[in-house]
Amino acid sequence: MADENMAEIVGTPALDGTYISEMDMWPFECQEFNRIYPFYENLRAGKFTTTKCQKCGHIAYPPGVICPKCWSDELEWVELPQKARIVTFTETQAGAPIGFPSPIIMAWLNFGEGAPLKHLLARIVNCKEGELNEGDEVKFVVFDVPSHPIEIKKETKICDRVYYAFEPVK
Amino acid sequence: MAEKKNAVIVGGGTSKFGVRQAHLLDMIQEAMKACSDDIPALKPTDIDGLIVATTMAGRHSSALNTAPLVVHRLGLSPTAICIRLDTLCAGSNSAIIVAKGLVESGMAEAILVTGAEKVYMPQRWETNYTQLMVNDHDWDSAMGLGVPPPFFAMIAKMHMKRYGTTKEQMAAVSVTNYTYGEGHTKGHFAGRSLTIEGALEARIIADPFGLYDCCPLSDGASAVIIASEEKAKELTDRPPVYIRGTGQHASHSMSAGWPGETLAEWTHLKVAAEVAFKNARLTPKDIDVAQTHDCFTISEIIELEELGFCQKGEGGDFVASGAIDIDGEIPTNTDGGLLVYGHPFGASGARQSLEICKQLQGRAIHQVKDAAFGLAHNLSGTCSQHTVVIYGKEPVD
Repeated sequence: MADENMAEIVGTPALDGTYISEMDMWPFECQEFNRIYPFYENLRAGKFTTTKCQKCGHIAYPPGVICPKCWSDELEWVELPQKARIVTFTETQAGAPIGFPSPIIMAWLNFGEGAPLKHLLARIVNCKEGELNEGDEVKFVVFDVPSHPIEIKKETKICDRVYYAFEPVK
Repeated sequence: MAEKKNAVIVGGGTSKFGVRQAHLLDMIQEAMKACSDDIPALKPTDIDGLIVATTMAGRHSSALNTAPLVVHRLGLSPTAICIRLDTLCAGSNSAIIVAKGLVESGMAEAILVTGAEKVYMPQRWETNYTQLMVNDHDWDSAMGLGVPPPFFAMIAKMHMKRYGTTKEQMAAVSVTNYTYGEGHTKGHFAGRSLTIEGALEARIIADPFGLYDCCPLSDGASAVIIASEEKAKELTDRPPVYIRGTGQHASHSMSAGWPGETLAEWTHLKVAAEVAFKNARLTPKDIDVAQTHDCFTISEIIELEELGFCQKGEGGDFVASGAIDIDGEIPTNTDGGLLVYGHPFGASGARQSLEICKQLQGRAIHQVKDAAFGLAHNLSGTCSQHTVVIYGKEPVD
């Protein structure tokens, strides 16, 4: 897990767990709120996935409902590479959103020649300040993030959530 | 069909920018007052269109449909258009693009473009939550990217690595802009000065950025009048400043779609600039004064390259050589820019265009001698969109 105490709280950490969607730093991952929920289901299974167009073959990121190249809606889920190299990175001392640790390490990743996902801005976790170097290899990692409640008719359902980042390959 | 008219920027004003003890609508009224002082003949009945550029109005001021609120407070009665527009940091220059089209087509005679943000909330940390919404929330923001310094810090590191740009060169941008900020009493950091040593010794925000490499978040409002040439002649005796050409380009919303070979190449700005220069029938060599989006010192350096004012990769040397000074090749951000005047997102574009208007009318505080053509540029989002507006003392045709 990236941050020890993050998944223990339901709702918004800065509000002691009260849930206000406008202040939510994570996506609505559940089926009730989006059509790309398989992405998050796949995260739970440790898979990094996206949608590929069955018509033109284009692999988009982030995943979608239609292909951004040819607008076909015939898509399939495919796996993306889980390893990348650090092109450049920064260790931010001030201004991290509440709920994220400070300093927070962010990197620009390169997935290598021919990879469907060329580059990505990603948070680097399980890594101390000063440890990271340009060119280092990092790998995909999934962790729990705060859940949120949703009202379905008269019932309240708790939606558990996960998110992903990258960590150094040691 | 009616003959195409020429759209001009008549004049305008801003509120005080900074951490303000004022409501969003208070600051819009202050900007209107300043605009009225700048164009004394202007009456509320002259204005037949209103475009309000704001991003935070809904979340921070509980004012989602902002335009009617502005109509009421300013005593307007627009009949051609009355809208709110949001392109984040490019809001009011985007509004100027829309106003140009409406005026040229004859649909409106005089449009008030006002941009405004109340950024700071009763609990300041709440602002950082809104910042998550200005990126692609579910993707880049969920990585912890709120306020933009980390993203631009990586851009700076890449530019330093590929082109040899130095922290001293970035400091030169900030010091130059502080020099220009002198006399602009409504600026966020009005009255302050900065030396290269002071910039280099400042506390680190996100390496390699120190405090003075980053513009502030500001509360504030701006207001300008975009009118037909004929209407402008009724309102003022000052020489007309024509909106010659515009370009706006976006190619992605989150990091995976970044168009450049690396973070140091902003090919999407190059596209927006090429479109604007073509429409304006000008080249970068023709421009006498520029307002570029200096949200960070590195931004101004890369923008000068991609806008064509210097060769790609030479922006660091260019700014340190004095090229952006008042007597240099391309005086840039002559009112202090975002770094010193401040950055209330939706208000910044009109603030820039007003400075170009004053430069071309020969009445700027730091006047560029014989300025005839000027350019304003904004980037918005996580550097996902670019907006360019080019002005001249002569119309295109």
